[in-house]
Amino acid sequence: MVKKNVLVAQSLEAYDAIVVGSGISGGYAAKELCEKGLKTLVLERGRPLAHGADYITEHKNPWEFTYRGLGDRKRFEEDYYVQRRTYAFGEHTEHFFHKDTDSPYIEVKPFTWIRGGRVGGRSLLWGRQCYRWSEMDFNANAADGIEIDWPIRYADIAPWYDYVEPFVGISGQAEGVENCPDGRFLPPMPLNHVEQVVKEGIEKTFPERTMTIGRVAVLTQPHNGRAPCHYCGICHRGCTPGAYFSSLSATLPAAEATGNLTLRANSVVHSVIYDEAQGRATGVRVVDAETKEMIEFKGKVVFLCASAIATAHIMLNSTSNRFPNGLANDSGALGHYLMDHHFQTGASGEMPGYEDRYYVGNRPNGIYIPRFRNVSAATKRSDYLRGFGYQGSADRASWGRPVDGFGADLKHALRDPGPWTMRLHAFGESLPRYENFVELDAEQVDQYGIPLLRISCDWGENERAMRRDMGESAAEMLEAAGAKNVTIFNGFNPGGYGAEPGLGIHEMGTARMGRDPATSVLNAHNQCHSLPNVFVTDGACMTSSACQNPSITYMALTARAADYAVEELKKMNI
Amino acid sequence: MPAVAGVLGGCRVESSATGTFAPKTLTPAQNDLVATLGELIIPETDTPGARAARVNEFIDRMLTDWYAADDREQFLAGLATVDPKAQEVAGKPFMDLSADEQNQVLSAMEEEAAAWRTALQEGNGDPANPPFFNLIKQMTLFGYYTSEVGAAQELRVMPMGRYDGAVPYAEIGRAWS
Repeated sequence: MVKKNVLVAQSLEAYDAIVVGSGISGGYAAKELCEKGLKTLVLERGRPLAHGADYITEHKNPWEFTYRGLGDRKRFEEDYYVQRRTYAFGEHTEHFFHKDTDSPYIEVKPFTWIRGGRVGGRSLLWGRQCYRWSEMDFNANAADGIEIDWPIRYADIAPWYDYVEPFVGISGQAEGVENCPDGRFLPPMPLNHVEQVVKEGIEKTFPERTMTIGRVAVLTQPHNGRAPCHYCGICHRGCTPGAYFSSLSATLPAAEATGNLTLRANSVVHSVIYDEAQGRATGVRVVDAETKEMIEFKGKVVFLCASAIATAHIMLNSTSNRFPNGLANDSGALGHYLMDHHFQTGASGEMPGYEDRYYVGNRPNGIYIPRFRNVSAATKRSDYLRGFGYQGSADRASWGRPVDGFGADLKHALRDPGPWTMRLHAFGESLPRYENFVELDAEQVDQYGIPLLRISCDWGENERAMRRDMGESAAEMLEAAGAKNVTIFNGFNPGGYGAEPGLGIHEMGTARMGRDPATSVLNAHNQCHSLPNVFVTDGACMTSSACQNPSITYMALTARAADYAVEELKKMNI
Repeated sequence: MPAVAGVLGGCRVESSATGTFAPKTLTPAQNDLVATLGELIIPETDTPGARAARVNEFIDRMLTDWYAADDREQFLAGLATVDPKAQEVAGKPFMDLSADEQNQVLSAMEEEAAAWRTALQEGNGDPANPPFFNLIKQMTLFGYYTSEVGAAQELRVMPMGRYDGAVPYAEIGRAWS
């Protein structure tokens, strides 16, 4: 098991590596660095969490919850006023989330920052969907003349996707779609009966489009000592058999097994220590969340994996004579170019004629339709750049559907499930824009003495134009597949909540990679241009956002950067 | 199951060891009325109904802990309209009526709910003030189908262990809760 909150004496022990954050990226960094022999300290601001023992709601029935899953509304509104906006938060999962009152941020414009509150971070709560980026994605900024070019291409990262996927365990179906490359998959989960019908309908009408089962970090067979999915379907409550990939089920145990890991929870990183004389980072300053004591930890190399916004927060708060505007921020790009995927639009429709079919098991996965816009000359749009993919599923509503009446007739009617409904939810790429940014508040600080963060981010014209097509194309495909009563939904409420940035929980871009130190923070190896022993491998590093769920790309980039960092350490270059 | 049920904040005993229930927000008379209305909405058939599922206890808990003051007042004000409606339809307080008469009162309440919905669709209803029938029906269905009786006896709890996306419905014959 992972060590819990090992107390480390102040400034005494020097580590080879310090990893900030224990989520998807930090967990992977810890595994790679530990396996390569580095004595590694992982700092997590959240509280400790024991895999299994602390999954206190796993498999609980609705009647075993005080509020039947609705949660303690009044307390949620007081303590979790941001976290409660996401679907993943509730009575089943509240203990995994960051308490908003613990360290607030300022929404200059509506922005939902969803944060983990325990060891493992958001890897406990993620949607588990894993799609490789393609050459088209890494070439996108250069091709469109938007902002700066990525310093890497698909060929640079493909071997690292190959490397991480077999460890993670991703079930999926190879489809040969060039802009959504196939990976190293475990056997796919099946489509259900109506999803198969919809797939055939869409692909017949739109031969250039593909609908496939989701590529998901949930095991369909025993894998690396983890058990396959038992289809309870409520992954985000925690999974004791480890069927879904999280830092707790996979990377932290692997790191722990090397004997090189020290994991310290309740460790709020205040800043990275820059030594002016040596011209390098020498460690990090931590505020203990329980004692409020400030402690310094020394390390030869620092990996910032705290999530895009938290990493930017730490770097902006790491000032020195050399870096008065934030760590490694010679370019002024730090904190800017914040992106997320915009969603909460798509369509749904009824699929009549299959009432004699049902399903057994809660499959923690849905379908995926890879991007089909702006992927070729024939699919070029005049109204927006880039594109979107769809996730979704078909199911039959149960007692929650509207049925008139009362009494025995109503009770009897609700014994049978309702009609099949197919839903397509679009996830769209957003463009990097300087005016979407985070900065430190000049006056207010949190209980740890860290300046509050101000977040200013909004969807631009390109995203707004794309959203119209995201809804209309979903409706068009559902109708082609035979759906009735097709309805387009769109949660976007300009200036308000419903589809505001951040809600996609794919925030990225705040310390971007690039070729030119004048316009980017990181080089092609996720290494700070001007501070070679500091690496950033979470979403902050992303130069564009693509439309695919990003976690598997963070893992591949992290493994690649860790390999590079260790080689550089060996060569005494850093 | 982790042996930690009850660790979540605020978890309380469902009812006393003797099976009696003391409502915290509802008066004893209001509690009887809520339990009676619930049983009319989801009655005992070949499976237990809302009363056996203690839906009234759930509603009292939600009114006490969960509802905002405005919503609680709205529910209680709606509950207070049931007796006048019973007088109007059948000439007696609701609890003094026969089951058939109570059903007639509920039918009259449902007609008002339908009229409200039609008005909403035509753009001249008040979405913030749904008829009491909607409130009690929604709470009763939620309380019933998330209870062990409703979820596991009336409907079926999804089993774990496998996924099959194309099973003949006849092999299952009941909605998953």
